[in-house]
Amino acid sequence: MPQRSPEFSGSVKLKYVKLGYQYLVNHFLTFLLVPVIAGILLELIRLGPDEIATLWKSLQFDFIQILCSSYLIIFISTLYFVSRPRPVYLVDYACYKPPVTCRVPFSCFMEHSRLILSTEPKSVEFQMRILERSGLGEETCLPPAIHYIPPAPSMEAARKEAEMVIFSAVDTLFKKTGLEAKDVDILIVNCSLFSPTPSLTAMVINKYKMRGDIKSFNLSGMGCSAGMISINLARDLLQSYPNSIAVVVSTEIITPNYYQGKERSMLLPNCLFRMGGAAIFLSNRRSDSIRAKYRLLHVVRTHKGADDKAYRCVFEEEDPEGKSGISLSKDLMAIAGEALKSNITTIGPLVLPASEQLLFLMSLMGRKFFNPKWKPYIPDFKQAFDHFCIHAGGRAVIDELQKNLQLSAEHVEASRMTLHRFGNTSSSSLWYELSYIEAKGRMRKGNRVWQIAFGSGFKCNSAVWKCIKSIEIPTDGPWSDCIDRYPVHIPEVVKL
Amino acid sequence: MVSTAGENAAVYDVRLSSVVPASITGEDKVHELSNMDLMLKLHYVKGIYFFRSGAARGLTINDLKKPMFECLALYSTLSGRVRKSEDGRPFIKCNDSGVRIAEAKCSKTLDEWLAFNDDSLNDQLIYSQFLAPDAGFTPLVFVQFTWFKCGGISIGLSWAHVVGDAFSASHFINMWGQILTGQVPPHHLDTYNPKNQKKFPSPLAKVPLSIQRVLLDPDGGHWLLSNHRKMRTHSFHVTPKQLNRLTEEAKLVKPFEVISAMIWKSLAKTSGKAEEPKIVTLISGTWDKENELPSNSRVIISTIEAAEAPPAQADLAELARLIAQTQEDETHLVERVMDQKGSDDGESRDFILYGARLTFVNLEKMNIYALKMGGHHQPVFASYSVSGVGDEGAVLVLPGPPPGTESGEDEGGRVINLILPENQLEELKYQLGNEWGIH
Repeated sequence: MPQRSPEFSGSVKLKYVKLGYQYLVNHFLTFLLVPVIAGILLELIRLGPDEIATLWKSLQFDFIQILCSSYLIIFISTLYFVSRPRPVYLVDYACYKPPVTCRVPFSCFMEHSRLILSTEPKSVEFQMRILERSGLGEETCLPPAIHYIPPAPSMEAARKEAEMVIFSAVDTLFKKTGLEAKDVDILIVNCSLFSPTPSLTAMVINKYKMRGDIKSFNLSGMGCSAGMISINLARDLLQSYPNSIAVVVSTEIITPNYYQGKERSMLLPNCLFRMGGAAIFLSNRRSDSIRAKYRLLHVVRTHKGADDKAYRCVFEEEDPEGKSGISLSKDLMAIAGEALKSNITTIGPLVLPASEQLLFLMSLMGRKFFNPKWKPYIPDFKQAFDHFCIHAGGRAVIDELQKNLQLSAEHVEASRMTLHRFGNTSSSSLWYELSYIEAKGRMRKGNRVWQIAFGSGFKCNSAVWKCIKSIEIPTDGPWSDCIDRYPVHIPEVVKL
Repeated sequence: MVSTAGENAAVYDVRLSSVVPASITGEDKVHELSNMDLMLKLHYVKGIYFFRSGAARGLTINDLKKPMFECLALYSTLSGRVRKSEDGRPFIKCNDSGVRIAEAKCSKTLDEWLAFNDDSLNDQLIYSQFLAPDAGFTPLVFVQFTWFKCGGISIGLSWAHVVGDAFSASHFINMWGQILTGQVPPHHLDTYNPKNQKKFPSPLAKVPLSIQRVLLDPDGGHWLLSNHRKMRTHSFHVTPKQLNRLTEEAKLVKPFEVISAMIWKSLAKTSGKAEEPKIVTLISGTWDKENELPSNSRVIISTIEAAEAPPAQADLAELARLIAQTQEDETHLVERVMDQKGSDDGESRDFILYGARLTFVNLEKMNIYALKMGGHHQPVFASYSVSGVGDEGAVLVLPGPPPGTESGEDEGGRVINLILPENQLEELKYQLGNEWGIH
């Protein structure tokens, strides 16, 4: 112990130096103002009250001058208030909880694989290895059509799944918030791989008998990051339409997309993708600001599609036997890292405190002008955000991000536990993660949340929310019956 | 599964899926198999229930599957799979793999099907798979739902005897029926712990007569029995009147014993001097505690030797009395055989019980008509059978349809299911029809 104490006290000293530096830079303007105010006060005291009174009387103001200056002040302030973007509030959201009849334990999944791919033992072996290391638990769910040997995907089964997931999530949302279907002005549904005619949006409008002048949008083909794209679209629409309500539904319909061939690069999604969906209630109405849980601060979208490798890294195609599936290339992690870098370079200046930005700038200049071999400074995002929701795309994605952003285990806990309990539910996984954080009672008023999602294209989209209401631990919700069991320790390799 | 009567492909559109327990069983839950379980591993219990269209009205396949999830949460063993421990002894890993469900349609109406009166046809209604060759990935329980042209429905249950006896199978499906009709299931099921464990000195004092060591094809993974003779199933109905007549003749003997005597005598007559079965096995052991986990611990095995008079010539009453009074309980002997190690190195540890000798199984008290679907619909007809039976054959004595069902008369009828070599069965049919009026 005595040997470690110089190091220990050294690191403690360093910590205080860091804290001092951060405090100084972040409140620079305050510190600057202090001497100015002090100076004015001193001057006033020096002048004395009589002198101040004479000074005041000597000022001559024309009536017109007063009128013009007050007019100018009012004009400028009105211009300022009007040109501010409308705040977008997240009133509440609801996540779909699949029924227990859709549950797929590991052993059942593997047995079905063995029967379906009975002629391809190597592919079965591959799937088993993926499943062992996937980070999924024994309670993830697949839609009823996929429980058959062989799976029985049909358009009707896909529609049934869509109805099951979407209607359930929207019903829960309406019940939770007291929202009525006829009050919804904007409806956005995103589902990447199932796009029937009429659209899923039309399906929702039909079921809930929504108004004829509703502005509806259906986003398909945009991958796992489509949830953030929908939020971005909703935000932009809410700028154009005052006093409006937007409902965003994010889901992924598994039924038509279960790969039934044997190509290894295409078997991975079967092991990871699971049923899930979420419905989100956004509003720009003043009256909702009181009961809203979050306010949207920023949405940042980065697209790497211009690069051929990035474009092809998640690609839906037919295998040599004509069976269609999504093939994942081997450079997926590298491309994801690049996309992340682009995204945080854009979002950094918007959210990072001045201290971090200054350090980053200095490190950048240093690398450019002095020594290119200096390690690039990775800004400490833990200072900008209290909670992180990283899309539960797979264990590798979460590990990579944890490493790149230097996050602790607790920061990525929501993502890992969502992957364990629900699997990769694509665009809705961010909402399950947010729900986890709330269910654990960790969300406080004033906390900032960063939701970050990756998807085919290759895209990296993120959103920043601020919690504006103290949130009680919910009694319902997808985690209500199992939150006590979490967090669980997820072994590196699960023995099947 | 060849149908001799009726057209081909009467049952079509078979779709398979799995049902798993509603709650996680947890990691590393293991069910150890007892000696009796392993002794019975080559046998399978098969049950079939027929319902009229009113029973399944408005019920989709998902309505039928949903209670199964809850039911399986109570029976974690049934969803498991066989694994082998390091010393080669099989056990069940409760890994939530689930049971296999088959859905099928039949081009015949229920009445047409029942009119065929051919039990081998029922194989089409009971989806089943032997645990060989891939025992680690084969379900222990299969349930098939078949919809008939008239809207009637049949439920076929295939149950590996290694998990439990016929009574266990019946309790399981009854529990499913209870959950289907809206009853709240118990929180958990009890385990049966037999109190008296008689200790026998080792080595084995006597070789049990009821079992037979078999040599299995190693490719079958030691779970598949191949018969030397072609076995067929047939069932006979003994009306209460006929039963009364038999018991009067036999005087103060229980129905099971007199029926067994009748079959034994008839078979002895038909098989001739050389093949006359002199020693038969009796399997009894009744239990009606529906809220217990499946097990084979209540199986009681006894043998009866017709030492004095050959059974073909014996008087029915005498034979029945012989059965009633001279049963030699071999249950513990049989269990001890599985313990024998060392001296039996290299020898097969696979045995058959049903069919090693002519076997009579007492299932009279099975509550098979207690399975109710939608409302209070009882089965029109229900029956159980065993597959994987040895060449000597087996006779199952089941309760007949009770009053209240369509074909039910007054209490007391019996259904006899025979699993015998083909040639013996034909002759026996003739005998029973002629001499006793039983069809």
